Amino acid sequence: MRIGDSPRLLLLLAMADDELILGHRHSEWTGWVPHLEEDLAFSSIAQDEMAHARLLYGLALDSLGDEWDEDRLALGRPPSEYRNAVLCERPNRDWGYSLARQFLYDTADDVRTQALLGSSWKELTEILTLVRMEEAYHLDHARTWFRRLAEGPVAAREHLAAGLESTLGEALAIFEPLPGEVALLAAGDLPVANSELLAAWLAGVGEELEAVSLDYVLERHSKVGDMVPTASGEMEDEGPTLSVPGVERVRGRWVHRGGFAGAGGRAGKHSEDFAALWGDLTGLYRAHPGVTW
Amino acid sequence: MVKQPDDPVSAAVWDALAGVHDPEIPPCPITDLGIVEDVRVGDEVIEIDLLPTFAGCPALDAIREDCEAAVAAAVPSREVRVRFVTSPPWTSDRITPAGRESLRTYGVTPPASDELRTCPFCGSQNTMQESQFGPTLCRATHYCESCRNPFEAFKPKLIALEVRRPS
Repeated sequence: MRIGDSPRLLLLLAMADDELILGHRHSEWTGWVPHLEEDLAFSSIAQDEMAHARLLYGLALDSLGDEWDEDRLALGRPPSEYRNAVLCERPNRDWGYSLARQFLYDTADDVRTQALLGSSWKELTEILTLVRMEEAYHLDHARTWFRRLAEGPVAAREHLAAGLESTLGEALAIFEPLPGEVALLAAGDLPVANSELLAAWLAGVGEELEAVSLDYVLERHSKVGDMVPTASGEMEDEGPTLSVPGVERVRGRWVHRGGFAGAGGRAGKHSEDFAALWGDLTGLYRAHPGVTW
Repeated sequence: MVKQPDDPVSAAVWDALAGVHDPEIPPCPITDLGIVEDVRVGDEVIEIDLLPTFAGCPALDAIREDCEAAVAAAVPSREVRVRFVTSPPWTSDRITPAGRESLRTYGVTPPASDELRTCPFCGSQNTMQESQFGPTLCRATHYCESCRNPFEAFKPKLIALEVRRPS
């Protein structure tokens, strides 16, 4: 049975699935991060993100039939009904990659949730007020390490830069237009269009990259789009391209010129990496529906 | 922050709730932690609204069950419904002075909005933050340069807590 496609539901699922899927990736660092403090950090951030997904799923359940519950919503959908951005489902690769992704995702999530505080949907603004108080710690973590790696030894800076090059293109697609976005904007549920959110985020990230002289990653990053890293981490080696799809610097400000790499998540289209993640995430639920502790 | 009950049943409910503790901070009653938002005493049903400190706190279910059991024991004639609500958001300034003191005796520095964290062992303010994260979602890890002990501090959580922008 399909879950339905009301604009409000798809707005919630986009955000909740981002948090759930990236939270799952972060949780894969538990026990494996190079040092203890970061093990605690990624584990805690994962725990927060899954809790935020839970709050948003709870709001979604208000408009769904009795056959839906929290577990079914989180774990009982086929892959094509998950609406997370493709960026969130990519395997962790190395810690520099994970940190770069956390930086790009959480800065984007900050822009998105800040704007949604102005939504006419009261229950959503209440949840996001709470969520943002906890996300402040994620942002602080991301920015602290972003600066520390960027200004650190050459190896650290290179790991960060490589992570940013690999993730920037797909990070743009966090702001891929939502199905039903026109209706969301008309109703005031979504107060700012995704295209405007993207412009604000890209300009801000551009400034943060320029502050540590890493803005070159916006011009030279690994090619993404149809060519995707596989679950084994292999990538086609076609060398760097000269521009991120649709990004250029205009009068000192990075702007989006249209087009997304790795788009499709908001429409339920995912990379092959999602299949393995979905299998891990939902395996217990599918084998034992309704199981409890 | 602890509200004054205005009738005997309410008083009994609040007394019962004052006997419930967060299992991750055993000395601090939940009434001093400031997570009891509302108690509504009806003729047949007692409804209690709690606020999560951090949304992902794994102790929430245990706290809810402990509240139900404690209130049901104190007022056996009525049904008890306990739920967590998200509005208003819990903030760390809801912790009472008594709650802050119980944190300190447990070895956890109470939340502070400034950068200074007092070592719970020697009282020095010559401390540094090791990480924003710690053994539970509500605590950060610090290090005391004076007595050279690692310690934990309850994270400040405020609506107005500004996200630190790059300088």
